[in-house]
Amino acid sequence: MAKNNQYFEHESLQDKDAIISYLKALTEGIEKGEILLSDEEETLLLKPGKISLLRIKATNSKKNSELRLRLSWSNYEADSDKNAPLFIKAKKASKSK
Amino acid sequence: MKILPPLYEALRFLILDIQKQLQTIQDGLEREDPTLFDKSLERIDYIENAHINLLNRAGATYCADSCRNERLNIQCYEHISTSLKALSSRLQELTYQLKQMKSLKLIQKKPVYQAFDSLNKGLSLISAAIESESLGLAIDICRLQVRIDKTCDQQLDKYKKSLKTGQQTEALLQASFILKDVSIMGQALLRVGEGIISANVGQFIQIDRYQALEASLSELDHQLSQNDLKIHSMGETKSGCTISGVGTASEAEHSILAIFKEGKKRKLQEEKAGIESWHQKFPGIAPEVYSYQKQGDKASLLFEYLTGQTFDKLLLEKDNKHLKKGLNTLFNTLLDIWQTTRIKEPRSADFMRQLNKRLGSIYDVHPNFNLKGLQIGNVKQPSLEKLVEEAEKIERDLQVPNAVYIHGDFNTDNIIYDALTDQISFIDLHRSEYMDYVQDLSVLIVSFYRLTYFDPDTRKRIARSMEAIYDFGHDYAEQIRDRDYEIRMALGLARSFLTSTRFVLDQEHAKSMHHKGRFLIEQLIQLDKTQRKNYMIPKEIFHD
Repeated sequence: MAKNNQYFEHESLQDKDAIISYLKALTEGIEKGEILLSDEEETLLLKPGKISLLRIKATNSKKNSELRLRLSWSNYEADSDKNAPLFIKAKKASKSK
Repeated sequence: MKILPPLYEALRFLILDIQKQLQTIQDGLEREDPTLFDKSLERIDYIENAHINLLNRAGATYCADSCRNERLNIQCYEHISTSLKALSSRLQELTYQLKQMKSLKLIQKKPVYQAFDSLNKGLSLISAAIESESLGLAIDICRLQVRIDKTCDQQLDKYKKSLKTGQQTEALLQASFILKDVSIMGQALLRVGEGIISANVGQFIQIDRYQALEASLSELDHQLSQNDLKIHSMGETKSGCTISGVGTASEAEHSILAIFKEGKKRKLQEEKAGIESWHQKFPGIAPEVYSYQKQGDKASLLFEYLTGQTFDKLLLEKDNKHLKKGLNTLFNTLLDIWQTTRIKEPRSADFMRQLNKRLGSIYDVHPNFNLKGLQIGNVKQPSLEKLVEEAEKIERDLQVPNAVYIHGDFNTDNIIYDALTDQISFIDLHRSEYMDYVQDLSVLIVSFYRLTYFDPDTRKRIARSMEAIYDFGHDYAEQIRDRDYEIRMALGLARSFLTSTRFVLDQEHAKSMHHKGRFLIEQLIQLDKTQRKNYMIPKEIFHD
């Protein structure tokens, strides 16, 4: 079972190049299946699955623009101990007349 | 029927006064005392009052938040009262006619007295029938109508014969009118019984429908004495049929003997044909049909009540034991069915064509799913219509194995597992046909996902059941060397995920199904030919 919910948040002002390197780091993490996020106190390791829900939200107004990217997935394999398959493979001998 | 004291009280006054009205007329007739006819007319005001009183109280009892059943109950009181009022008005009419008759001889006949006795008996049964939990007394009241009708007809025939002699024609005609009135009072009594039955059954039953049930039951070879009969409503199907369980009142509520289903004739004809086709092709899997009745465009079907639980109920048991056993018994049963019914001809399920046909009705329920194509930078995502079109091309090239006889509407609640006998039964068989076995499997998988149970443990059991069905299909495909199982399954799942959103009003849940369906199609159309050969459905699709 997952312990308590972990939480990480970051906010900073960055130039274009830095933003690209952040996005790259995320892309590489998704590729590897592991994204490590940490500040001095907390470390959080995310394991994005093969399939995630992607949400892109963009707003544009005179004053400012915003682009939000959200990835979410479920960590169902976390408790694989109870995940014995329900399907019992029939023996080949079950062929009837 | 539920006792609502203010209404019931008014109703009892009404009955009492009508009984007095009737009794005075009977006395007047027997004693040839016309003053009693006048006396009977004195009851009219009281009867009028009691009826109005009941209607007013009914109006006050209704409130905005009364549930459907409460409202039905009140309506039934009104129905009974109105029917009794009609009966009383006929009595009044009859009294005026009696008063005009020079001689009462023609009316002082045994059948007439019998008819009056039946009316009297009917009135005296009403309170007991309302208070009773079983339907026996209400049915008795309905039955009296048939008896009254018969005795009136007997007497009318005699009048007719006498009329031919040409003597005392005027008196004979008057007497005939009186008998007609008596017969119409029998009808009113029938409506009273109808009101009580409706309140007990939980839905408004018109008496012609009730007779259909009775006719069905009398065909049922079971010594049901009418007093033991009990019917309880079990809800409605998506196709608009109503379902009731028919059982004995004397035993516990588990003792349902049969299921009574009624609705559109076409639907029920299909269902009956479906059940019979299974009896032929794979005996023992479908319920026994006891009786089929039709009238106009309506029909009713009485069939065996199967013991056991449907899979959506099995899921709710904390323990996986029955679910697992049930699923595996289902799989073995399917293997048997497929082996027994396989024909030498493939029949494609045409999943994408099925999907295409239903896109409109998906958007009717979820307009937000109707999206145009999307483009971000160089990445493009086609509209669902385009995706389906592309996938249809892929589907055309797929190898489909020889068809087997499939259920056709293979939802969790259409499969019953009896853990005691370890047996599987199918219900709702109106769409059975020969087809690709993947049709049934993919529908079943999604019917598990679609369930609106949201607690995490049940969701887990749902995912594992879905996986088990997929694994079973995969295993079977290997056995019969069905090389395109994965792709057909993906298309079947996509089709069911997308179309089933029509029945899911929970936005989040529907959205997640929509995403899964789209995802599978998007994935498939990106594959080249070799990739298609090795394609495996990602198991993540079975999880939330």
